[in-house]
Amino acid sequence: MNPIARTLWNPIVAKEYRSRMRTWRSPLTITIHVIVLGGIGWAVFSAIANSVAGFGSSGGGVSPSSMGILLFTFLILFQIVLLAFITPALTSGAISGERERQTIDLLFVTPLAPFSIIWGKLLASMSFVVLLLVLSVPIFSLVFLFGGIELDQVVAAFALTAVTAMTLGFVGVAFSTFFKRTLAATVASYGAAFVMLVGSPGFGLLFPTEYDARAAVVPAPPALALISPVVPLLVIASGQPVSTYGTRASVDSQLQLSKGAGNGACVGLPNGGVSCSSNGGFSGYSPGTGTASPGTTLHTGFLAGLQYWQASIVMQLMICAVALALSALLLPPIRRFGWRRNRAPAAEPA
Amino acid sequence: MIAVEGLTKAYGSRLALDHVSFEVPEREIFGFVGPNGAGKTTTLRILAALLEPTGGRAFIDGADVTREREKVHTRIGYMPDFFGVYDQLSVGEYLDFYAACYRQPKQRRQKIVDDLLALVGMTERKGQLVDTLSRGLKQRVCLARALVHDPAVLLLDEPASGLDPRARVEMREILKELQRMGKTIVISSHILPELTELCTMVGIIDHGRMRATGSVRDVIARLTSGRRLRITVIAEKDAAIEILEPLPAVKHVQAVNGTIEAEYEGDEVTASEILATLTGAGIRVSSFTPVDGGLEDAFLRATSEEVG
Repeated sequence: MNPIARTLWNPIVAKEYRSRMRTWRSPLTITIHVIVLGGIGWAVFSAIANSVAGFGSSGGGVSPSSMGILLFTFLILFQIVLLAFITPALTSGAISGERERQTIDLLFVTPLAPFSIIWGKLLASMSFVVLLLVLSVPIFSLVFLFGGIELDQVVAAFALTAVTAMTLGFVGVAFSTFFKRTLAATVASYGAAFVMLVGSPGFGLLFPTEYDARAAVVPAPPALALISPVVPLLVIASGQPVSTYGTRASVDSQLQLSKGAGNGACVGLPNGGVSCSSNGGFSGYSPGTGTASPGTTLHTGFLAGLQYWQASIVMQLMICAVALALSALLLPPIRRFGWRRNRAPAAEPA
Repeated sequence: MIAVEGLTKAYGSRLALDHVSFEVPEREIFGFVGPNGAGKTTTLRILAALLEPTGGRAFIDGADVTREREKVHTRIGYMPDFFGVYDQLSVGEYLDFYAACYRQPKQRRQKIVDDLLALVGMTERKGQLVDTLSRGLKQRVCLARALVHDPAVLLLDEPASGLDPRARVEMREILKELQRMGKTIVISSHILPELTELCTMVGIIDHGRMRATGSVRDVIARLTSGRRLRITVIAEKDAAIEILEPLPAVKHVQAVNGTIEAEYEGDEVTASEILATLTGAGIRVSSFTPVDGGLEDAFLRATSEEVG
């Protein structure tokens, strides 16, 4: 086996698979995940059915495709929330648990590189997450009964969900390496999950990108706001951009535009839609054309040219790389940093 | 095989190791003796390349523990004083996992595991979950784990702690067998009588300083020889004790199973003067023997005074 293959597929992966799947927690986690997700799907389905029945035979204007979009949106968002609870639990004890169990030294005296140890733990945890995602596929297939969601949207959503879980996993292992105790690592990991899922969109709302209301192109939201998968998943589900999320027309340009247009600050969007905004907050979907691209593509910034979900994946992969590097750096019992040099103190008199 | 030169480890202003030096030739069993907190575990962790020394150097089979950690790890088998085991793994799977970590070929691992289990007398426990074993059996499995890559050197930190007498005897026999197989063993312990029987060399450490090191016989002789006398007298035992007790050189006298044991300070001349005093007082002395103390005596003396 060549060194790269040996690093990527090392004994820790097989050991983790074996010991993880022999505990009662794994089947319980799988069962709860499927039941909760199935329950959400059933609840949304029932709510839609009741609402349609309430409107009578006319159907109240609710088309099957919009039912499918609604069901898909609920399912994919709840799946993210579930994984945000499960993934830190899988990874935050990966290294600190070895320390608490006093097995870490036994690994350190083997030829396994720190990166291999980290990678083995991550691969085993991420495989379990992938298993959860695969098991949720039949539930998501309900969406296709209604239509409105294409296969490429499902694939994109699952890819983003998987990368999000991976990011949460990498961050969890990094905290597990940094903190000696699993409890501290778990708290920090859940904190990071909250920041990622809620704080990142909040950043986009609080600190939007300012732009000239007369500009032809709406700029991209701040890159930090794209770390969260929530907005990109909404974009995937709706097939439309969230028009003014993370962006705000500058006051001066709005005033000048309103002088010219009469009232309001309305901005023409590249996809043909029009967005009117007075405060720069989340103002809902733009009345656009309804196709995935190019309306869901970012037009400015270093992520220009990417769709929302692709930009989110790029941002998260960057976080993964940093977390992985930090973990591998922090793990070894003897860390060699260039600025530190030990000197022997003088011997005490006998 | 093992060379330690002026090893120093400081935690802030506290010196855990203070210029410790010793050597262990090939195929020797080196007993590392010292009270709790003396620096035994620190030394072994540095030798296992798990801890960086503040100063000094150490070599395992020529490999520098601070610069050639990978080489060191392939040459040592390390058994820490406290260790955990993975739950949900059987004994066979546990050993197979570590054999894989040490890059033993898959087709050889089964034989390695079987041989090691036979060596530590646990063949029949191969399928048992390792977490359900008693402490003594876990110690044996951990010893087997340290051997999966057939290292030349074994670093064993308190391998007999927490074991019942039978398990200790069994562990001792296993270690003797390993010595016969050509392993060089460093074993830290505070169970001194066992070390006397097991070890060929000993190092006594206290407060981070090496107080004495060398072959067991030499260290014991150097620290205790000539300071205890075993005297057998004919009939006048009580009278002999009454004569010995007031002597200024004699520190302690007691009757032990029909003989008299006297501790004294001084050399051979002092001993001959004690004998002359007894015979001059009309005590019929049938035997008068300087007694070597054991490792325990040597340890107590080494840790209660400075040894050059």
